[in-house]
Amino acid sequence: MTFFLAVVRRTLSTLVTLFGVSIIIFVVLRLLPGNAVTAAMGVSEGLLTKGQVAALDRYYGVGQPVIQQYWSWLHSLLQGNLGISLASREPVSTLIGTALPVTLELALFAMVIGIGIGVGFGVWSALHPGRWQDDIGQGISVIGLAIPTFILGTVLVVFLSTKFHYFPSSLPFVGFFTNPWLNFQQIIFPALVLSLGIGAAILRTTRAAVLEVYNLNFARTALGKGVSRRAFIWRHLFLNALTAVTTMSGIQLGYLLGGTVIIEQIFILPGMGRLLITSIANRDFPVVQSVVLIFAAGFVIVNMLVDLFYTVIDPRTRPR
Amino acid sequence: MSIDTIGATLPSPLESAGGEVVLRRGGWLRAIWRSRNGRIGLITVILVLLGGVCGLAGWTPYGADVQNPSTVLKGVSWAHVMGTDQFGRDVFSGALQGLGVSLEIAFLSVAIAGVIGTLGGIAAGFLGKWTSATIMRATDMMFAIPTVLFALAIVTALGPSVLDSSIAIGVGWIPIYVRVVRSPVLALRESDFVRAGRVLGYSRSRLLFHHILPNVTGVIAVQTSLALAWAILAEASLSFLGLGPPPPTQSLGEMVSNSSSLASVAWWTLAGPSLVIVIAVIGFNFLGDGLRDASDPRTRTR
Repeated sequence: MTFFLAVVRRTLSTLVTLFGVSIIIFVVLRLLPGNAVTAAMGVSEGLLTKGQVAALDRYYGVGQPVIQQYWSWLHSLLQGNLGISLASREPVSTLIGTALPVTLELALFAMVIGIGIGVGFGVWSALHPGRWQDDIGQGISVIGLAIPTFILGTVLVVFLSTKFHYFPSSLPFVGFFTNPWLNFQQIIFPALVLSLGIGAAILRTTRAAVLEVYNLNFARTALGKGVSRRAFIWRHLFLNALTAVTTMSGIQLGYLLGGTVIIEQIFILPGMGRLLITSIANRDFPVVQSVVLIFAAGFVIVNMLVDLFYTVIDPRTRPR
Repeated sequence: MSIDTIGATLPSPLESAGGEVVLRRGGWLRAIWRSRNGRIGLITVILVLLGGVCGLAGWTPYGADVQNPSTVLKGVSWAHVMGTDQFGRDVFSGALQGLGVSLEIAFLSVAIAGVIGTLGGIAAGFLGKWTSATIMRATDMMFAIPTVLFALAIVTALGPSVLDSSIAIGVGWIPIYVRVVRSPVLALRESDFVRAGRVLGYSRSRLLFHHILPNVTGVIAVQTSLALAWAILAEASLSFLGLGPPPPTQSLGEMVSNSSSLASVAWWTLAGPSLVIVIAVIGFNFLGDGLRDASDPRTRTR
C-alpha cells in the first residue's frame, strides 16, 4: 500500500516536471525567435492541403494570445496531434513512428553495452586497486570521458571503411524484424561508440561504490566468516553498490540521448536524432518541438523508474 | 578581533576535514600543484589558452584560411606540423583559430551559466522555503531536457553565431550550477559562524557576500573548470553537426566533420583538430580534479 502511494506520488511529480518541460520547450522554440514559426508556416502554407493548414492552425493556436497558443499546443499533444511537418508535409507522428524504434534500439544496445563495460571493469578494478587491472579500468574511463563521441565515431567509420570496406551509407537501414543479422551489423558499431562514454562514467561510479563498501565492517565480517569469493563479490559488494550504479545509469541516459543525435548523423541511421538535425536545418518547428519533447519525456520517465527501482533493490528506501 | 574575522578564519566544513585549513589566500596555485592531475591540468590549460589567444589574434604559422594550391594535402612535416587540407590550408593554423573560437564560446557560455546558476543556487540554499522549492522545481524541469538537445533547440530558435551558441550551451548548464552551489550553501547557513553573524544582526547581503560566498568559491571553481571542458565539447559537437558559427570562421568540430571523407587518404586532417579538442577537454577536466583535491582534502589522491 505504501509502495503504491510512493508510485502515485512519484508519478504525479513526474507529470508536473513534464508539464514544466513542455513550457520550457514552448518558450524556447516559440517565443524567442520572434515568431519564426508563423513565418515558416507562411512560406510553406501554399504546399499544404487545407485540412493540414487547419490542423496546424489548431496545433499552433495561430492568431491567439500566447497563453492560448500554449494551451492549444498542449491540447493537441494530449490528443496525439503532434502537428504536421512543414518540410515533408507528413504528420509528425508518422515521422516519429518510423524514427523512434531505430533510436530506441540504438539506445538500448548502447545502454546494455555501457552498463556491461562499466560494471564489469568497475568491479574488476575495484577488486585490484592500484594494480594493472585498475590501470585498465582507469584507461577506459579516461578515454571514455575525454574523447568525444563524434571523434570516436568518425575515426571508427574511417577505420572500418578503409580496412573493411564498410560504409554506413552503402545500405539503407534495415529493421530488426526484417533482417535481424543485418540490423545487428548496422547497429552494433554506433552502439559501441555511444556506450563508451556512459560506460566510462558508470565504471568510475561502480569502482568508487565497490571500494567504499569493501571497507565497511560487514564486508570484512563476511570475508572473515568465510563467505565464498563469488558470493562476496556479487551479494555483498555489488548489491550494495547497485544504488549508486543505478543512479548514474539514469543520469547518463540524458547524455546517451544527446549522443544518439551525433551518432545517427555519423552512421546515417534514420532515427530521432537524424530527424531532429534535418528538421533544424529546414527550420521545421513542429518536428523539432516534438522530438525534443519526446526525448525529455523518455529521460524523465526512465529516471522515475530508476527512483522506484531503489525501493525494490534497497529495503532502506522503502516507505514505512 | 571582531566576531567577523573570527568567523572568516574558522574552518568551514568545506575547507577542512582533518582540522587543517587548506586554502589560505594565494595558496591556490600551490594547492593545485600538489596533486598530480592538477599539475597536468594546469600546464595543459595554460598551453591551450595560449594557443587559443594566438588563434584569435591571428598569430598562427600561416593564415588560417589562406588557400595554397601548391601545398594541397601535404602530410605532417616541420613546415606543417599537422599537415595541410584539400585546399592547401595549414591544419595547425586552422586548429588554433578554431580553438580560439571554441574557447571564446566556452568562456561566454560558462559565464552565463555560472553567474545565473550560482545566484540561483545561493538563493535556493539561503532564501526561504518557497523560493527554494520554486527554484529547485524549475531546475528539475530544465534538467529533464538533455543538455545537448537543449542547446540544439536554442540554436534552432536563435540561429548560429558566437553569442547564440554561447547562450545555447550555457543555458543547459545552469541547473548543474544551481545544484552544486545549493548544497554547501544549505550547510553553511546552519554553520556556527553564520549563525553568530545572524545573532549579531548582520544584514542578509553581508552574510551572503562576506560569509557564505567566499566559502563556496572552491565548489564554484571546480564546477567552472568542468563546465569549460564540457562547453568545449558541446561547442565542437554543435559545429560538427553544422550548427556552429557560420563560415569563414573555422571551428574544430567543423574541421573534424569536413575531414571525415578525407581521412582515409589524409589522416592528419582528422587527427589534428581531434587532438586539439581532446587535449583541451582533458586539460580542463584535470584542472577541475586538481581544484577539487585542493579545496577538499578528503578526495586528495595520494
